[in-house]
Amino acid sequence: MSQMVRSAARSVFASRGRFLLTGTAITLSVAFLVATLVLADSMRGRAASDIAEAFAGTDAVVQGVSLGEPGGGPGDPARSVRQSLDPDITERVVAVDGVDRAASQWSGFAKLVVDGSTVGTGTASDVGRNWVADPALNPFRLASGRPPTEVGEIVIDRSLADDAGVAPGDVVQVLTATGMHDATITGIATFASADAAPLQRTVLLPDGAASAWLDMAAPTEVLVDVAEGADRTEVLGRLSALSDAEVVDGPDYIRTMQDAATSPLQFLNVFLLAFAVVAILIGVTIIFNTFALTVARRRRESGLLRAVGAERRQVLGGVVIEAAFVGTIATLAGLVCGVAGVGALRWVVGLTGVSLITGPTIVSPISIAIAATVGIGATILSAWIPARRAAATPPIEALRESAAEPRVVSRARTASGLVLAAAAIAGGAVAVVDSNPVWLMLAAAIVPALVLCGPAIVTASARWSSPAARRAAGVSGSIATGNLAASPRRSASTALALMLGTAMVTVFSIFASSLTSAVGTDVREGLRADLVVTSATPDFSTIDPTLAGRIAELPDVDSVTALSIAEGVVAGKAQAIGGIDPTALPTMYDLDPIAGDLADLSSGGVAVVGDDPARLGGTLEVEFERSTIEAPIVAVVERSTGGFEAPAYFVDRATLDGSVGRLLDAQVFVDLADGAVADAEEDVSALVRDTPGAFLATQEEHVASSGSEIAAFGNFIDGMLILASFIALLGVANTTALAINERSGEIGLLRAVGASRRELRRIVRLEAALLSFVAASIGIAVGAGFGGAMIDVAGGAEIPSVVVPWLRLAVTLIVAVAAGVVAAAWPAFRVSRVPVLELVSRDR
Amino acid sequence: MSPHPDSTVVDQQSGSALSSNADDAAAMLVGAVKRYGSGQSTVVALDDVTIAFPAGKFTAVMGPSGSGKSTMMHCAAGLDQLTTGRAFVGNTDLSTLDDRALTMLRRERIGFVFQTLNLVGTLTAEENICLPLTLSGRRPSDGVLDQVVSMLRLGDRMRHRPAELSGGQQQRVAIARALVARPHVVFADEPTGNLDTRSGQEILGYLRSAVDKHHQSIVMVTHDPNAAAWADHVVFVVDGRVHDVMDRPSADSVLDVMKGLGR
Ligand SMILES: Nc1ncnc2c1ncn2[C@@H]1O[C@H](COP(=O)(O)OP(=O)(O)OP(=O)(O)O)[C@@H](O)[C@H]1O
Ligand SMILES: [Mg+2]
Repeated sequence: MSQMVRSAARSVFASRGRFLLTGTAITLSVAFLVATLVLADSMRGRAASDIAEAFAGTDAVVQGVSLGEPGGGPGDPARSVRQSLDPDITERVVAVDGVDRAASQWSGFAKLVVDGSTVGTGTASDVGRNWVADPALNPFRLASGRPPTEVGEIVIDRSLADDAGVAPGDVVQVLTATGMHDATITGIATFASADAAPLQRTVLLPDGAASAWLDMAAPTEVLVDVAEGADRTEVLGRLSALSDAEVVDGPDYIRTMQDAATSPLQFLNVFLLAFAVVAILIGVTIIFNTFALTVARRRRESGLLRAVGAERRQVLGGVVIEAAFVGTIATLAGLVCGVAGVGALRWVVGLTGVSLITGPTIVSPISIAIAATVGIGATILSAWIPARRAAATPPIEALRESAAEPRVVSRARTASGLVLAAAAIAGGAVAVVDSNPVWLMLAAAIVPALVLCGPAIVTASARWSSPAARRAAGVSGSIATGNLAASPRRSASTALALMLGTAMVTVFSIFASSLTSAVGTDVREGLRADLVVTSATPDFSTIDPTLAGRIAELPDVDSVTALSIAEGVVAGKAQAIGGIDPTALPTMYDLDPIAGDLADLSSGGVAVVGDDPARLGGTLEVEFERSTIEAPIVAVVERSTGGFEAPAYFVDRATLDGSVGRLLDAQVFVDLADGAVADAEEDVSALVRDTPGAFLATQEEHVASSGSEIAAFGNFIDGMLILASFIALLGVANTTALAINERSGEIGLLRAVGASRRELRRIVRLEAALLSFVAASIGIAVGAGFGGAMIDVAGGAEIPSVVVPWLRLAVTLIVAVAAGVVAAAWPAFRVSRVPVLELVSRDR
Repeated sequence: MSPHPDSTVVDQQSGSALSSNADDAAAMLVGAVKRYGSGQSTVVALDDVTIAFPAGKFTAVMGPSGSGKSTMMHCAAGLDQLTTGRAFVGNTDLSTLDDRALTMLRRERIGFVFQTLNLVGTLTAEENICLPLTLSGRRPSDGVLDQVVSMLRLGDRMRHRPAELSGGQQQRVAIARALVARPHVVFADEPTGNLDTRSGQEILGYLRSAVDKHHQSIVMVTHDPNAAAWADHVVFVVDGRVHDVMDRPSADSVLDVMKGLGR
């Protein structure tokens, strides 16, 4: 055996060139896969384990009665909406038999303000909570200083302290629903052992301040510690008998919290998962191709070995050990490159000012194990399958046979592929007609269909394009198309990697453009105001409600109106409800009413965002935390106020305030008097600058920034896609190089009869261009079809219409073809440099 | 830098040269040395060979295996470079040419036939035949193509690809390709080596008639005295040197010389 290993190692070093190509393919695929997995892990962070640790001492939690579940889409609130608890709930919980201790949890909006400016931007939300005195129930731990005791004292989480550059003893301010409050920092806390609670910046308040500052009459939750020795299930049963409250088991509560913390990333995780799958597919395809070629080339050699008496096992074993050898080394290199690549990606993305990952880079053993298994496994399997076939061939046949694969495309294979493709297309059509995402699963059968039909597609496109290629490039054209058709299976699997890559690009492009358009269009088309004041974070309103009035008093300001947003539940689903001034708003933001009259909102009606005028005249029940309203639908508008949290319903401001209490403003629209615009804008700007939690944007700026979250997200996706396409293209380079190697005799012959180096290069380039073109066009077509169907079916209200970015897709096609040509340039250059005779004699 | 060879040099070496006049030579090697490898393992494949292959004649090259026949052909055809010495095709000194010029020369003035794997698998017989012409952007004049094709009796096979042709047919296509551009000289390295006697005889007949009817110059390597008998002259190569030259050979006389070479 060791002799075999040694001879395998020798064989690897003897044919360095060949194995360098194979190794590169494996390394890149593994690197991409591990990078994807590490990125996904790091983005998810340690949220789940942190939450579990923080609430480890909590046996049960008492919450308000649930009104509606979160929708989960980009426009829906992430939390479920619950009724308020009674103010005396904690006493009632403690009184329950078997409850050892109980702690009130108050949580609401609170934002740290240091030197007049708010701390922290980005996706995390700003949360104010009360400091729980009982350490067993407190999710936070004091890292330094002391707990807050008096109103006006606060503790903040460590990452917030780091961001703000403050320490215990510093005097700061806190912006909450009741306005700005002065505060002294008494300590720094950690969430369990983490610097901050997942996706939150937390300000911890003393018990007394919690209700006053957060503007709440009752706690949000009560954390319960069941007495030692009491039967937990029984205690839970008794707790659930409490009126106007629900009880959840500790572990369930933790799971819900974990889901909430990770759900904003779910979106991204789906993408990353898709990437990982594509990475595996592309990687395996490339590795498989490479080995199919190298083994085919060695078929004669192994036939000879068999002819002189080598056992089947000896021939097979050598190849597999070689593959294991190359696979292991290349996989190790891939793991290193992948992890390093994440670091590089972080750094590059960081340059644009967006942080990709907030926590540390997490390289979990599972990611490594998956990537290593795929890398080494795929390599060995890729070598074993063709090698087994080679070893099974009678020696004489192998000797006689040329390395080339049969030109004939199996009819059965194509037929089953066509059946699958038909099923996939039918599935997509049914999904669209029925609006049923289940059918989309059937549509995904297009991938195996392409795998099966690939050789036939390649042969057919080579045949069709042959006359054109001949006209365009003369005999080089014929040879190029001929080469494609001569090894349909290899050409097809080379194309497959590229096809998958471009299909992904297309799906994501369509998705991003549809989403951007959905989010951005409303603002672009509806906004009339000269200036817009926006909140610090998109998911919380943070504008001081007095700001609108103060702006209105400035000279040269024509009119001002504010938008407030509250969460309500409509038909069991959490929705954003906007509160507007129905006479002032339409002059500054055109909601595009298609039925009814917005003015009727002032008499207690509700406006529905949608495109169905028939809803006019119905009634709508909206449940809020503290009350429920039932209102007649007096208007249907086609447009909302834009952004991720755009309201799906509008009521009069007064109605909303009456239902949920006083609210901060989400946006303030400002119209300036004609002329003297610059001065007036400067005045408003100065006022807004002095108001923490408020930001000023001009009309153009606001239009540009609407949907920009998605644009940033799109850039990230682009980065991943470029990486994926890059790998697919290296696949092209790889197989081209190997195919050239295989055909060296013929290429030598071409040179011998007078083909110049340039012509040789042209043939290779043409071949790559044609293959890339076919692959990219099919990829784009499939991606467009699938992506379109997916958005149409699953897009819902957030992405009402499919927007196909034609220009981008055209660019994708051009780039794919150009890149294919570039990828083939190196092998083409190499072959044109080899002396003629060497090429001729290689095959003899 | 006149590419024109100094004819007197050739004449003085006439003991080993075929032609008494260099202007009559289709191709020529002067003081040709080809060494492979270096140091201990150096192989001298051509050892100071000076020879001219006469124009409009059919020359056979014979010699034991490993004597340097193929090397000689490759160097004379510009497929390989001499270590020292010069190679001429017509009046052109190949050592003065860069890759581009050599390519043009191969395309327009030289035809080459290998023992096997002579055809481009993805092209039809007709495309293979016309390859050197299409590469230089020319169409074959109908007359020449028809002539060659009918001479080689390939008329009904023109649309087939090499894989669909027999070995003999493939060699005929290769020869048609070598002839169709009416090159200055055709080199054929054991063109009949893989064929049965009858197909071999046919091929030799075509080569002969190309020389007789169209004044084509042909140089052919062979191991078969019967094949050599079709030629006008036979050059015997031993250990990288020209050992002997025979005019108007017969199978028997060639066999005698071969026996004398220690085979
Ligand atoms: N690329 C090479 N590297 C090293 N030595 C070579 C190379 N090609 C040929 N030789 C050596 O040069 C000598 C002449 O080879 P060549 O192929 O010209 O012989 P040949 O006369 O054509 O033989 P055959 O009748 O067997 O075809 C031989 O000894 C051969 O081993
Ligand atoms: Mg030879």
